[in-house]
Amino acid sequence: MLKFDFFYLLEQIPKLVPYLDVTFLVLILTLFFGTILGFALAVWKLGKNLILRKLAYAFTTAMRCTPSIVLLFLVYYGLPALASILAFDLNDLSKIFFVVTAFSLSFGNVMSEIIRTSYLAVEKGQYEAAVSVGLTRFDAFRRIILPQAAVVALPNIINSILTLLKEGSLAYTIGLIDVMGKANLLIAMNYEAHALETLLALSFIYWSISIIIENANGLLEQKLSKGRTFIKTV
Amino acid sequence: MLEVRDIRKAFGNQEVLSGISFSIEKGDVAVILGPSGSGKTTLLRCLEFFEQADSGEVLFDDIDVDLRNVTKEQIKAIRQKTAFVFQNYNLFNNKTALENILEGLVIGRKIPKKEAEAIAKEALDKVGLSDKYAYYPSQLSGGQQQRVGIARAIALSPEIIFFDEPTSALDPELIGEVLATMKKIAKEGTTMLVVTHEMSFAQDVANKIIFMDGGTIVEEGTPRQIFTEPKEERTIQFLKRLLPEYTYYI
Amino acid sequence: MQTLDLHFMWEAFFIALSGAPITLLITVVALLISIPVSFFFSLIRLNGTPILDQLCRIYISFVRGTPLIIQIFLIYNVMPILVERFLRSTQSTISIFDVNPIWYAFIVFSLHTIAILTEVFRSALKTVQKSQLEAAHSVGLSTFAAYRRIIIPQALVTALPNLCNATTNLIKNTSLCYALSLREITLRAKVAANPGYNYIEAYIDIFLVYLLICSLVEYGFKKYEKKLKAYQCLSA
Repeated sequence: MLKFDFFYLLEQIPKLVPYLDVTFLVLILTLFFGTILGFALAVWKLGKNLILRKLAYAFTTAMRCTPSIVLLFLVYYGLPALASILAFDLNDLSKIFFVVTAFSLSFGNVMSEIIRTSYLAVEKGQYEAAVSVGLTRFDAFRRIILPQAAVVALPNIINSILTLLKEGSLAYTIGLIDVMGKANLLIAMNYEAHALETLLALSFIYWSISIIIENANGLLEQKLSKGRTFIKTV
Repeated sequence: MLEVRDIRKAFGNQEVLSGISFSIEKGDVAVILGPSGSGKTTLLRCLEFFEQADSGEVLFDDIDVDLRNVTKEQIKAIRQKTAFVFQNYNLFNNKTALENILEGLVIGRKIPKKEAEAIAKEALDKVGLSDKYAYYPSQLSGGQQQRVGIARAIALSPEIIFFDEPTSALDPELIGEVLATMKKIAKEGTTMLVVTHEMSFAQDVANKIIFMDGGTIVEEGTPRQIFTEPKEERTIQFLKRLLPEYTYYI
Repeated sequence: MQTLDLHFMWEAFFIALSGAPITLLITVVALLISIPVSFFFSLIRLNGTPILDQLCRIYISFVRGTPLIIQIFLIYNVMPILVERFLRSTQSTISIFDVNPIWYAFIVFSLHTIAILTEVFRSALKTVQKSQLEAAHSVGLSTFAAYRRIIIPQALVTALPNLCNATTNLIKNTSLCYALSLREITLRAKVAANPGYNYIEAYIDIFLVYLLICSLVEYGFKKYEKKLKAYQCLSA
């Protein structure tokens, strides 16, 4: 029989919300490291060095075809083993380390594609005009190319952050107690009695965050348009 | 002032420039004519180093460049003395008309902002866009954008301005305003090297015509020489196609 | 120091591969159900039909705004009870526990993919200019025929890369079916790894199997895209 307790659902929300800090910590750390990795990969993909280019593209293919959960476990089991070869003991490291590493790899991959395509979306003529009026390569890039590429990239980046938030929920599988991990604990503690209410409370939290981010993205797109037609690259 | 010696350039197996040599004096308004594929645009782009020529020499005032071994400093130096007007205008999309011109002055030539603003406004006034300082390229018509491109070039006070088919991307009714602007600055003594199909400009404003075909210079001379007394057969054929009312006697 | 158990890796690779049919079955069924339904939904979204459009938007917003794993848990919690009621009402003697969890997988992944593909088709249809429909009408085609012969083929070219993405994502997401105790790629390899704690080898094998399947799928899509694009290149 389906006994749905709405008040139970409401009670769960304040129990879960405090754990959002772990969720967001993971998100921000992943953003930071992933973006650095993404830049490096994008530079390699656009560069002249054939070996680096092939490596970067091979990395992208590998990441595109790997489920997040497989990557997570691969890092969780594999990294300590790899480190032990180099005589590092990673057994005491917090779970956050593994979660951030795994998701930084996959997010870095996504970022590298966004950076690459938004850079290519800016016409070559802009660079030529910039150097013809005397700007150095660096100035041309910083003042002319980068602002235009950023406008193209931003909506895609925000979308990817949203995806990252959702993928991050899988961190509970290696025991991280973020908002998803806490929900699982609550369900287990109650012997699955009111699992549905807890899950719906969790969904509500994620859904709210998504709606806020999506609306912000929409407003940002409108503001950046300045009457120009928009190019979506990803 | 500008002397070009034996420029060669091939794209893969296709030789596009097969030994181009000519010279430009200060105050010249030189027009390069020729059929499509003759290498006119490639030549211009090589002179501004957007393409790398395979061999040849460029003597610009006191700068002597061997195109096989160009150094970054030489490229920078020549770009400081020259300006380029593009077929697709290539205005900086994220800057207003005024800011487009300020870029080269403030960042490129390190002129203080107040002074640069005065120069930029004067340039925009000269091309007839005094009321469009704060407009973005997307808010301007093609003709207006190209005029900003010309203003951007003249504001730099370069020794020579290269024009790469400046009106080819424009609707017919907008071509006139751009040509008028070019005529105006030509009359003021600007040294110009222009690649164009606009015969009216070549006949009325230029003082030197260079006819190119298949990667070489076929004939060179004053407009009068080229248009009324062409010497080469290929020149005649080209002119016949473009100016049917002329007939030629050799 | 540990070295990889290569013998185990060799065997486990095939164990993992044996889970591929289930993975592909879920993927194919989800696609077969989602494509027509999401196409229909995308038309609703484009036309802006009053109530249906809002319902679609809420549905899509929910599916895209919550993690897939939560959706799987939700269905796994809710569906059995609904199915149980249905079976009782039809006097069936089938027990809830006999229902193969793969049916729940079909439902979750279909619902998920419908939401995603609706947006894919909506943006693809938008890229085809309205003038194409007008031209079709002017030569006497019905709206239905116009869509079938002119508009959809052109929209398909734009949609194809996104379809390829959605398919590979679908394949990767089936790895979450371990939560439904479905013996697909990931679960089989994990189970095989348990006795000897050969987790690293198992996950490397899992990774290789997914890499193999996804590469094949991408290759297939690229070839199809090339074939469809033929009409575009002719004018170049």
